[in-house]
Amino acid sequence: MSGTNGHIVEARNISRVFPMPAGPVTAVADVTLQIAARDHIAIRGPSGCGKSTLLHMLGCVEPPTAGTLLFRGDDVTTLSDRQRSLVRLRQIGFVFQRFFLLPMLTAAENIELPQSEAHVPKAERRQRTQELLEYVGLAARAAHRPSELSGGEMQRVAIARALANKPGLLLADEPTGELDRATGEQIASLLDRVNADGTALVIVTHDPALAERSTRVLSMRDGRIESESACA
Amino acid sequence: MNAMGFAWRSLVRQPARASLGVLGVAAVGALLFDMLLLSQGLVISMRSLLERTGFDLRVTASDALPGQGPLIANAVDRAQAISRLPSVRSAIALRFADAVVLAGGPRGVSTTFQGVAGTAPVYPWTILRGRDITPGRPEIVINENTAMRTQLAPGSRVMLRASCTDQQQALPPVPFTVSGIAQFPFDSPVGTTVATSLSMLATACGGNESNEADVIMVASQETSGASAAVADVAKLLPDLHVLSNAEAVNRFERGGFTYFRQISTVLTAVTLSFAVLLITVLLTVSINQRLGEIAALRALGFSRWRASADVFCESVLIVGAGGLLSLPAGALLAFALDRILKRIPGIPADVHFFVFQPSAFRIHLLLLSATAVVAALYPIRIVAKLPIAATLRDEVVG
Repeated sequence: MSGTNGHIVEARNISRVFPMPAGPVTAVADVTLQIAARDHIAIRGPSGCGKSTLLHMLGCVEPPTAGTLLFRGDDVTTLSDRQRSLVRLRQIGFVFQRFFLLPMLTAAENIELPQSEAHVPKAERRQRTQELLEYVGLAARAAHRPSELSGGEMQRVAIARALANKPGLLLADEPTGELDRATGEQIASLLDRVNADGTALVIVTHDPALAERSTRVLSMRDGRIESESACA
Repeated sequence: MNAMGFAWRSLVRQPARASLGVLGVAAVGALLFDMLLLSQGLVISMRSLLERTGFDLRVTASDALPGQGPLIANAVDRAQAISRLPSVRSAIALRFADAVVLAGGPRGVSTTFQGVAGTAPVYPWTILRGRDITPGRPEIVINENTAMRTQLAPGSRVMLRASCTDQQQALPPVPFTVSGIAQFPFDSPVGTTVATSLSMLATACGGNESNEADVIMVASQETSGASAAVADVAKLLPDLHVLSNAEAVNRFERGGFTYFRQISTVLTAVTLSFAVLLITVLLTVSINQRLGEIAALRALGFSRWRASADVFCESVLIVGAGGLLSLPAGALLAFALDRILKRIPGIPADVHFFVFQPSAFRIHLLLLSATAVVAALYPIRIVAKLPIAATLRDEVVG
């Protein structure tokens, strides 16, 4: 954790520029941000303002093209693709708008998959999966495939999958985007609980109600953080 | 869940696509297997047939095939001289003519007529019923087809009209007794053959040329081997052409049999290309349908290597299952094709176009393995180069 002051992520003036045939496009420009353990951050902004790109950079999916990004003290730009994969596997959880559960696997198998990739012993895997299914309230649905689950249930399984390897940071990109208001509320409550149980949470959302549940709200425009506000 | 298990579940998820792939590979693999059997089948079969005659050298007057070139003069004397060589176990002179067996209908039955003389303990045929001919006596052995068409059996008497030269002849029919029913190794499935001693064939041919033959067949001593016998015979009779079985097979290989190998090579390349295209297309379509899932797995920490391994294992499973099915399918297809090809006139019944060899199986395995690897290359490239963030974004927008 050298040089991070206990932060999980420390971004210093990071930018992401995409080369395009018509000329380079700056998706994220000069963003400075720290994420500490137990942080509950929402990133808001209009479509195309760079929210998801920033989230992907914070999650070590793609490195910044400029600036410094430290993940638990390690400079992400110097890590190989394989090393970044390992960081994601063991230390970061992702929740997607469209869930992206594997349809040929049961709920339990979907949750077990990242643990299996992380070489967690089988017995430990089974126990952790059972705990997570109970945590998200789907113990009775362990053997169900995604096609047999509702949207809210699928997102709960996706959250359990994201937590499978006990990450310190959970990143969620529009986690309620595909859900109705009531189900979205349930998912938001679940994410609050995840955060309260010690996992830092960064949510990209258009939903003001979801953003208001965060302790920090970052508003983005044209690739930059326009403002940061603290919520109660 | 390891890559193979994951690949299995991915295939089971889309059973129609997986079945299509497996069946496609099975069909292509069966054809490939048959091409491999065909490439060497005729050569192997011919070699086996030549070896089964019990003679491993053929001596002729010219480079032409026996029966198609000039006759060997003093053939019986020369066969005896050859048989006295230390490297030779036995030698027989064999002459081919045509004959009409005057039985089984008003016009009789046309047959190949063989006359044999020499020191061999056995003749180049196998007695099935009755007994063998006694040299110098008017006896013939006939093959099953002749027996069936003429209704002759061991002990039957029959008139036989020979035709011994290319010119039109009106030779008188000669009486013979059928001593036995024999199997001739080079008979075609519908071929009719009769055989007697060379002296009796000469009698049937008008009493001339009793010491001439188309070929002298020689069995070498096991201790000396065919090569030594070839050298000894060539030294003894430098005006004649001596060919071992191996050399004869080599000549076949360089000659007409080459076409089968070339056809087989071309068809093998074509079938493999089809297999590669089929698997590549199926895997590519499948992956394009799952780009979001793959990108999500990569975001969750699955390495590029692991994602590629999943695709490769899918290719291996499809090709492996198809390859397994291709073996019985190929065997059945080879059996059917062999039956069709053996209808070509003049092909010996014991010759096969498709002959199994362990090496064919090994090459089949090797080529299908290469197919699995090559077919997976492009889909693996898609997965390995998949831009995770852009794909996740596109999937949501899409």
